Amino acid sequence: MLKSIIRKEILSNLLSYKFSIIIILSTILILVSIFVMYRDYCLALENYEILRRTKSEDTVVVIPPTPLGIFAKGLDENLCRSYEDGYGGRIHASSKQQSLNNLFKLFTAPDLLYVIKVILSLCAMLFAFDIVSGEKEIGTLRQSLSCSLKRPILIIGKWIGGFTSFILPFFIAVLLGTIFVTLSPVVDINAQNWAKLGLFLLSSVIYLAVFFSLGLLISCLTHRSSTSLVISLFVWAIFVFIIPNLGHILARQLVRIPTVQQLELKLKQSSIKRWFEKRRVDDSQHRRIDNRIRAENEKFLEDYRNRFNRLAKVSQNITRFSPAAAFTLLATDIMGTGMAEERRLKRAVLQYLKDRDDKMLGYQRSSVKEVLGRGGMSNCLILILFNILFFTGAHVAFLRYDVR
Amino acid sequence: MLKTIITREFLNNILNLRFMIGLVLCIIVTFACIMILAHDYQQELEDYNIRVNLQDEFLRNYAYRDGLFRMIPRQKPPERFRPLIIGISGDENVESFDDNPLPILFPPFDFLFIVTIIMSLLAILFSYDTITGERQSGTLRLVISNSISRTKILFGKLVGGAASLLIPFILSLLVGGLYISINPSIQWDGSAWAEFGLLTAASITFITLFYLLGLMISTFSRYPATSILNCLFLWVLLILVIPNICPHISAQLYRIPSIKETERKDLEIEIHSLKVAREYMKESVKKFKLKYGTLFSEFESMEFGGVGFLIDAKPKHRIAARQRADADPEFKAMMDAFREEGKKAQKELIRIREESDMLWDDLETKAAVQTKLAKNLACISPYANFIYVARDLTGTGLRSLEYFEQVKDEHGKQFWPYVDKKVQDAQKNDPKFTWASFLDLGDYPRFEFKEEALKDKLIEVLPYWGILVLFNVVFFAAAFAGFMRYDVR
Repeated sequence: MLKSIIRKEILSNLLSYKFSIIIILSTILILVSIFVMYRDYCLALENYEILRRTKSEDTVVVIPPTPLGIFAKGLDENLCRSYEDGYGGRIHASSKQQSLNNLFKLFTAPDLLYVIKVILSLCAMLFAFDIVSGEKEIGTLRQSLSCSLKRPILIIGKWIGGFTSFILPFFIAVLLGTIFVTLSPVVDINAQNWAKLGLFLLSSVIYLAVFFSLGLLISCLTHRSSTSLVISLFVWAIFVFIIPNLGHILARQLVRIPTVQQLELKLKQSSIKRWFEKRRVDDSQHRRIDNRIRAENEKFLEDYRNRFNRLAKVSQNITRFSPAAAFTLLATDIMGTGMAEERRLKRAVLQYLKDRDDKMLGYQRSSVKEVLGRGGMSNCLILILFNILFFTGAHVAFLRYDVR
Repeated sequence: MLKTIITREFLNNILNLRFMIGLVLCIIVTFACIMILAHDYQQELEDYNIRVNLQDEFLRNYAYRDGLFRMIPRQKPPERFRPLIIGISGDENVESFDDNPLPILFPPFDFLFIVTIIMSLLAILFSYDTITGERQSGTLRLVISNSISRTKILFGKLVGGAASLLIPFILSLLVGGLYISINPSIQWDGSAWAEFGLLTAASITFITLFYLLGLMISTFSRYPATSILNCLFLWVLLILVIPNICPHISAQLYRIPSIKETERKDLEIEIHSLKVAREYMKESVKKFKLKYGTLFSEFESMEFGGVGFLIDAKPKHRIAARQRADADPEFKAMMDAFREEGKKAQKELIRIREESDMLWDDLETKAAVQTKLAKNLACISPYANFIYVARDLTGTGLRSLEYFEQVKDEHGKQFWPYVDKKVQDAQKNDPKFTWASFLDLGDYPRFEFKEEALKDKLIEVLPYWGILVLFNVVFFAAAFAGFMRYDVR
């Protein structure tokens, strides 16, 4: 019986107008996104070659952009700046190439992560919002339940059938995009990257399942499809936009931290101070001045960095209440373009400057094992938890659902 | 009859679930957003005051003429619209190792976000079934069977629907405005409130645009389920896709040189210019040695005339050279002649370095062209037009960055003549005064950021606002054409 329900659900979806429009939209968007971000990656690669060619003896590290940035750009532009050793603990980061075009500051990078996080989650909700309420409206639900069909079987069949018909075209579009990327001679995806890409797609499926289950839950809680549509869209806006984007500002209210402008001003002033103070005294006292100012700088830099780490932690904990934020953190961490990678790189730079080596820092992005080992899967667990919660909610609501 | 249709549409909407959800969501989200951002603004203001005090104190202790160019006191205060809209950061924090990457992953949530995402979505939800819903329930043919024109029905639906849609928005804005007016840390003057009024008007233009889009789709569809899908399809394209893709397309269509490459070339030019100038001075030193013999050797021993001719000699050597020149006219003549040679070398150095200025100018010009191309491309989306209007009106957009540069330049025009005068006075009072001496700049002209005149802002935003109005007209005309031919059966 379950098989029949799944088949019926898939067939009715395949023949619907909703299916055609969502599939056209998602396929076009995924392909356009991959193409645009591929070109963006080529530009980043050119920029990396220039940074590598022009590195000076003060350059601590320059890392190449990852091809996985095509799928989830995250903080890759930040990571791929060249870091140079400055005076008194100050580390210079080169300007980002995109900082020249101020319009990049107004809009978000349209990578696959963005398409999945925002647009496909909406599509998942649109696929699921009328699964129960829509069938009730047209009267087929009570006909189905008038025979010996059990409600749990029906809801599970609907979930599997609906989600399969939604996710399969997504895989086809991503596969086409990936083939296009891998055929390019510029992109070199090694075994590690393939594993990361696989994990990314797996987490995308879990994330989309959360929204599908949520849509199903709303459908089971309402009796008219128009009502479930309105509620679904508002819940989607809250989970995808409001909680993640408000969370960071809220965290700033909880953890007081000076602006980076204040920090940079203090560092700049100490460098000028050192110049003037050294001029006033004999050469023999230069080292003493250097040491004093370096110690002063290190003190407030350490304080700033500790506070910033606390801010980042609080911010991540608040935003995790949204599946979209948990997915963003998870996906960027898996792809090596997230907060964890940034923290790791910065830690490596600071450690390198402490130990001092003649050679440039040879930095490798985290391996899959490291990503999974350092608690990167906690966000995945949150997504699974959301899934269980929403599906259980839908199941319970459907058991009590009045089909008349 | 028109009044009846408007009233009916209005009542029909406000008794609907979507109105209640929209109202609650709008008020809660707007109020929460303004409250949090106002607190954030207060913190930014405190941080700004700390920075200003830090600079004042630093200038009091370290105002040496030769280091002043590195510590000109110009700090940007937080935008006065910060409790509503988060401004774009300038260049000051893009080159920091310690900058905050979180806003890249999670763009900030502000009033613009509420208008562009929540209100536009609400507008579509209010209008997608205006015609199709009534056709499906059969009331549309009953209405049409009366002696009322289709134009009046459409117009009535537009006015009634838009009025009911704007109620949650206006109410939430009133709550937000009230909070801003009673918050002691936010001091808005008349021009700020005028900008707030204009921002509201621009937001209404944007929201009605999406209402009309929904209405238009509704007049071209048979079923509400079809029209909502088509509406959401267009909404995704216009709000989420086109604006975000445009900067990337412009970066592909119009390439600009790399910053790092330009920096490298700049460094090469600098090294070359120094080399040329040093070669010139080496020749001069040879000539002077031949001409002046021991006199020049004595001058050289004072750390003048070596390969490091461009680096100022220490104050004690300068004083010694000056005393020696006062005592011996021949030494003075040689010193003056050597200084002339130095000036010639400097001139050559500056001439070569002009190439580097050209490089940076070229980069800036090309970056401006690419930005403009991206800006114009994005104009096909109402979202981008609204962002330009709202941000530029409230001084939180790209124009505010340019304007800040202008204000900085204006301040420079006051500050440097003031410093020059101080130097002249100091030189008059103390003959030993050099560029490395301390200057008392206690009464220096403070940098005060004044908002750009509202008139100038309006002139800038009018074309984009015009495009928004045009979108409204086009969508209404299309909805009108669609409804005239609509099969109500």
